[in-house]
Amino acid sequence: MASFVPRASKRLRLAGPSSPSSWVCNDCRRTFASSIRPRQQQQQQQHHHQQPTPPHPSQDDKTTHFGFETVSESLKAGRVRDVFSSVAANYDTMNDLMSLGIHRLWKDYFVRSLNPGIPPSTTSSPRGQKILDIAGGTGDIALRHLDHSTTINNDHKTSVIISDINPEMLAEGMKRFASSPYKPTNRVSFLEANAEDLPTIESNSIDLYTVAFGIRNFTHKQKALAEAFRVLKPGGVFACLEFTPNLSNPLLNAIYKRWSFGAIPLIGQVVAADRDSYQYLVESIEKFPSQAEFAGMIRDAGFLIPGHNSPGEGGLEGGWEDLTMGVAAIHKGIKPA
Amino acid sequence: MSVPALALRNLLRAPPPLRPLLLTPHASYHSHEHPDPDPYPPTESAILAAALPHVPNHGFTPTSLRLGATDAGYLDITTNLFPSPAFALVTYHLTTQRLALASRVQFPAEEPAANPRDRLRTLILTRLRGNLEHPNILPRWPEALALMSLAENIPASLRELAFLSDEMLFLAGDTSVDSSWYSKRASLAAVYAAAEVFQSSGSGEREVEGFVERRLEERGRVGGFVSGVGEWVGGEARGVLDLARSLGWRV
Repeated sequence: MASFVPRASKRLRLAGPSSPSSWVCNDCRRTFASSIRPRQQQQQQQHHHQQPTPPHPSQDDKTTHFGFETVSESLKAGRVRDVFSSVAANYDTMNDLMSLGIHRLWKDYFVRSLNPGIPPSTTSSPRGQKILDIAGGTGDIALRHLDHSTTINNDHKTSVIISDINPEMLAEGMKRFASSPYKPTNRVSFLEANAEDLPTIESNSIDLYTVAFGIRNFTHKQKALAEAFRVLKPGGVFACLEFTPNLSNPLLNAIYKRWSFGAIPLIGQVVAADRDSYQYLVESIEKFPSQAEFAGMIRDAGFLIPGHNSPGEGGLEGGWEDLTMGVAAIHKGIKPA
Repeated sequence: MSVPALALRNLLRAPPPLRPLLLTPHASYHSHEHPDPDPYPPTESAILAAALPHVPNHGFTPTSLRLGATDAGYLDITTNLFPSPAFALVTYHLTTQRLALASRVQFPAEEPAANPRDRLRTLILTRLRGNLEHPNILPRWPEALALMSLAENIPASLRELAFLSDEMLFLAGDTSVDSSWYSKRASLAAVYAAAEVFQSSGSGEREVEGFVERRLEERGRVGGFVSGVGEWVGGEARGVLDLARSLGWRV
């Protein structure tokens, strides 16, 4: 912690007034200032780093959102990569601070509910499962998959491919796995790839596709879902753990918005000396589709939604599972045979 | 005013949170002309049907469901299709047996329901025989009862029980629309639940028949007593009102 202090003080002194761009929350009518630097400034900085990028999105280029900013689609992946490059080193510390440690419970529950691994008693030919963990750079979901399949299901064959767009995050994962018992067993591999296009992964080859707190950063979510559908075996499971833009209870939602827009960028500023990246994180949560919308997107990709068609339920109710009063939600989809 | 306009006006009069309920496309009534849609989509149905034969060996557990999924040509992980795997097996058994009742028991339609008690007895015994349809599931049935009594499963279990008693009364030709609608369903559900517990405690078929007969007899007696009390209370209340009016009270 002591090592953060010099950086933090430096950052605090440097922090200028908030930028002119602001945004009004539809629900609580409160204005949130976006402190992500305006585009020109960002581009100057990128130029400084010798990363040539097109200066302006050209007229026919499609745009998407990056937090509350609008950027051209071709730029978003690179900027998301920049954000995660800068947060990689203290990603886990920051997650603990931002979610008050609850993200560990969510991830534990996520993996436990998926129940990866095949117990040897229920199968004649033990072959294990192939799990693809997308946006799993630091490996915390992958480690839980392997722990669960080994200790709960006594399955020593199940393997995980950790895929991330960002080499710095993957490096964190490699560091973590270097000291784990799975290092010599060939049960974990790393893949630097964009989840919208996974040419190195065969169609119908994956049992379980997980993405935890990653899919909201994708430029084309529907394309990533279609790619997930392609790589999964028939009967394979797509599972996603993600923040939700709004809590169902308006009072709690107001408190939660205060926390995410007030505290999280500040924590990022003090602990990681990087306010902009954390501002992006909370803004990207705000821009993510609601649970019902996202469940609809999963269904549109061709997946079956668990619990959705059960008797007595209509609409897309029950196609997901809310965690901690709906701060995060687990979505699942099953590829039909 | 035309009918659609009236319907629209009624809809708009309802408070906004209730409107989706009024618009729901699923019929909430029995219809002879329109068969009920399948309660389970094909994938779920295939896995659950394949899982039931594993229940005698592995019980109402996620293991049975896993084995069912692999038997049906899916993967172990496909069991994620079921938010609560063990209870899904129980509800599948309950739902399929309830829906099978209509094809197993048919009473002559023309004849007025002369003796509804006999019809109900036949229906209850037929439904109980459904628990014997898969060999050796009955010894595992206490597991299912235990699962149904878990706090998170109680609402679904009670709903299923209510559906069952509703189905039985419908098949028995009961058409009452007064307040006995509720008491009939509640008492029949109680009789059925008791009979099922009695059956799963290892009793023979004849004993179960005797048990059901005695419970239905009690139900008739209690029902008569309750309706008698109701009539008496109603009559007395009317008398008190008339007395009050005769004294000049404005009631």
